[in-house]
Amino acid sequence: MQTELLQGTLDMLILKTLTGGPMHGYAVASWLQRTTDDALRVEEGSLYPALHRMTKRGWVKADWGVSENNRRAKFYTLTAEGRRQLAQEASSWARMTEAVSKVLQARPALQGA
Amino acid sequence: MRWMKDRYHALRALVRRGQLEDDVAEELEFHLAMRTEEYVAQGMTPEAARAEALARFGDVKAYREETHVIDERMAREKRRTELWDMVTRETRQALRSLSRSPSFAVMAVLTLALGLGATTALFSVVDAVVLRPLPYADPERLVWLDSPVPKLAPEARWDLSEAGYHHFQREAHGFASLGALDTSNVSLAAEEGALRVDVALVSASLMDVLRARPALGRLITPDVDAPGAPRTVVLGYDFWVRQYGADPKVLGTSIRLDDEPTEVIGVMAPGFHLPDDTVDLWRPLQLDPASPPANSHWVRAAGRLKDGVTLEQAQAELSMLTTRLPELFPGAYSDSFMRDTGFTTRVSPLSRHVVGDADRVLWILLGSVALVLLIACANVANLFLVRSEARSRELAVRSALGAGRWDLAWHSLTESLLLCGVAAGLGLLLAQGALSLLVSMEPSGLPRLREIGLDWRGVLFAGGLALLAGSVFGLFPLLGGEKALARLRESGRGLTSSRRGNLVRGGMVVGQVGLAVVLLAAAGLMLRSYWTLHRVDPGLDSRDVLTFDIVLPRTRYTGYDEVNRFYGELLSRIEALPGVKSASLSTHLPLRSFGGCAGMAVEGLALERSKMPCVTAPGVAPGYFKALGIPLVQGRELTWDDLEQRSEGVVVTKALADRLWPGQDPLGKGIRGNGFGPPFYKVVGVTGPLRAHGLDKAPSEAVFFPLAPAADLPLWGPRRSPAVVVRMATSRPESLTPEIRRILAEMDGTVPLANAQTMDRVLAKSPSVARASFTLFLLGIAGGMALLLSAVGLYGVITFIVGQRRGEMGIRLALGARATQVAGMVVLQSLRFTGLGIALGLLGALLMGQVLGALLFEVSAADPLVLAAVCALLAALAVLASFGPARRAARVDPAEVLRSE
Repeated sequence: MQTELLQGTLDMLILKTLTGGPMHGYAVASWLQRTTDDALRVEEGSLYPALHRMTKRGWVKADWGVSENNRRAKFYTLTAEGRRQLAQEASSWARMTEAVSKVLQARPALQGA
Repeated sequence: MRWMKDRYHALRALVRRGQLEDDVAEELEFHLAMRTEEYVAQGMTPEAARAEALARFGDVKAYREETHVIDERMAREKRRTELWDMVTRETRQALRSLSRSPSFAVMAVLTLALGLGATTALFSVVDAVVLRPLPYADPERLVWLDSPVPKLAPEARWDLSEAGYHHFQREAHGFASLGALDTSNVSLAAEEGALRVDVALVSASLMDVLRARPALGRLITPDVDAPGAPRTVVLGYDFWVRQYGADPKVLGTSIRLDDEPTEVIGVMAPGFHLPDDTVDLWRPLQLDPASPPANSHWVRAAGRLKDGVTLEQAQAELSMLTTRLPELFPGAYSDSFMRDTGFTTRVSPLSRHVVGDADRVLWILLGSVALVLLIACANVANLFLVRSEARSRELAVRSALGAGRWDLAWHSLTESLLLCGVAAGLGLLLAQGALSLLVSMEPSGLPRLREIGLDWRGVLFAGGLALLAGSVFGLFPLLGGEKALARLRESGRGLTSSRRGNLVRGGMVVGQVGLAVVLLAAAGLMLRSYWTLHRVDPGLDSRDVLTFDIVLPRTRYTGYDEVNRFYGELLSRIEALPGVKSASLSTHLPLRSFGGCAGMAVEGLALERSKMPCVTAPGVAPGYFKALGIPLVQGRELTWDDLEQRSEGVVVTKALADRLWPGQDPLGKGIRGNGFGPPFYKVVGVTGPLRAHGLDKAPSEAVFFPLAPAADLPLWGPRRSPAVVVRMATSRPESLTPEIRRILAEMDGTVPLANAQTMDRVLAKSPSVARASFTLFLLGIAGGMALLLSAVGLYGVITFIVGQRRGEMGIRLALGARATQVAGMVVLQSLRFTGLGIALGLLGALLMGQVLGALLFEVSAADPLVLAAVCALLAALAVLASFGPARRAARVDPAEVLRSE
């Protein structure tokens, strides 16, 4: 099953991914794919703009380094600002999923009752 | 070195555009390669794997674009913050370093602020008056038309005649439009009583020439400018705001001008005035092309050249058209008139007409304050030099620790730019104050006064100068940066100033003194000029005299009898006031618009036209000479009988009598305006020499006619708007104004009183005196500043040198030199600098005298008295400036010096 990501959710997922340490874009994509068993399909074309946007906002910082197979790659590191952002987004995400599931579990009232 | 690296990166970031592209491409390539490898590992062929990777990635092009935009924006922000960080960091550093020597900073800032302020103020004046184009559309195509009559009087310039104006307007093809104008005063009925207001009488075509725009309603159009059209008026914008509170409802209403209802049809655009006059009201001139031609030149004319037509072409066309006047208007012009007067029509740029020769004075003054700025800069440079000497140990240590030449330069550059920036800000405040003071003083003879003010060009000018000065000062340490290092290596102490430093210092002081000599000589020459001008006898007694203007409305005072009756009653009521000795009036006031020249015919003298006197011809009431204190050397004043019975008597000035009737008795000789029919007026009196055109001019030639002439000529403007003069027994003539206002209100509420001022003031504001005092005032300030700054510079350098030579002084004293000898040595050193400066300055002063030339009045450009006084002043200054250091030198304790060596 594949589900389209909600707006803004991608950012949160990337931030979460980077809590494991500096990673290049390919690794982020691969990790997300592995972790969700392909349930969430991250459009790779939108992954990089998201990374660059977050660099600009100061949530992550980018540095050129050398990958595990000895190639030049750009590594993204979570900043303190990014950590704060992740915490905030994660809690609001939790609030929302709770709210949504409450609605789904409730029994709708009859009209006029 | 970290500083250097930061700066390097900041600068590199500015040129690092292409790198972004590469980064994005490389990141993408890495991703695709990894994915391809993954697929290959799963067993795909490389080509298929690559294709799959690309397909999985999505829209590569869109990704590249989006990412690139984000990175670009990020890079821009980074560059900005890096640059800003760098600036604030350097500024903080400079502030810290400056705060360690506050007296240096304060001295440097104040000195520079004074110099910059004065220069910027003068620049703003020159800019507004000379450099900036006139405030009309396409001002470079605007021209002024007038008629020189070189054979009558070399300087005389007549306006156009009505016939000439119409002729040119019909025939001249070089002009897009040609307009006529005249100025006048009228009486306006207002709530607070009658007001005298300045009116521009203009042809409809002048609106095209000046490209006038209304703020409200409409302008003067051909229909309201037609002869006999109903009376209409366009309000000047300022007048509309001042008098009617900017009420748009005034449009279409009727106001009373000269006691006649006049319809307000429009309001002129804000700030729009005649080229050389402020205007309250604009009214149609209503020239009648059908009116009989006359050789009376009163129409002022301005034109706009057609595109592509040069001044020379327009001039050639008008010269040609002028030669046809006798053929077209035989009654007004004759061939002999043209020949004998050299009459021609001249086209000149309107800006030239407006600015006149004021630019000469202004450039000289700007040059003078620029010299002051130069002196100030020398002082500040000296301060910087002393400071960098004092800090040479610090600099040496820093460079030993690895600070490069550029690093040190960067530091001192920030420091000096900061100082100069603050000085520029302060200088702008000073300039602003000076300019408002200048404008409020209303120096007469300074055209375009209302356009003067500090604007962005002045700010740019001050900023540019500050930047230049700051860069020069800041790069000073570069000169000695490596030397300092070398010296540190040579010895741990004894970081004494270099020989070159001393040479520079001495050179600067010599230069300062030289410039001060130039400026003081200029101020001295102006002072002598002014003094000489002041001692010129104007030929009248200006003390205790009040003058003012009145205007009689045209409707009520149509003939000479009404006018004379009003003047007679006014003068006798004024004379009845306590403290008044005598009162009279005239169409012209000496030393204030005494008028141009009108040709005269002389009885019994078959003068060639070229010898025909062209003189001023005021109309005067009885008692005029007594009230103004103009002595009569022969004959008598005009009396009321002369006016009422038209007895045909006139008074002439001595200068005219001497020319027309040399060695004869002028009394009883006949003279009249040329072109007017007989009879001749008879000379009944001769005044003493009267310099009514200006103290710097030759005694005036004038014929004083009775206010009401013998022939029943039409009453024209000046006779209805005369200048009244009242001689008082007390010394405060201006205290009389309210009384006179009351008398006028009682006699006729529609007659306004205006321009009340003492005759002393008229004298002081007369162009030659006003220009001399204005120039003297500013040159005096420049000279004073130069003197002060040179004194400070001299003192500083002598002090420094004494400090350096302490050891030598100590040894001399130890070897038995007397204290006075040592002190004398110091004074001599100071005199040596000054002497060299004076020698150089004298050369400059002689040059400056040549430049001043035309501004000087009966003073030689190389006046020995002035030059000697300036030399003496500076020599005294040299002694004075060295006095303190000399005393200190004499008190050096040899024992202590020897110990410390």
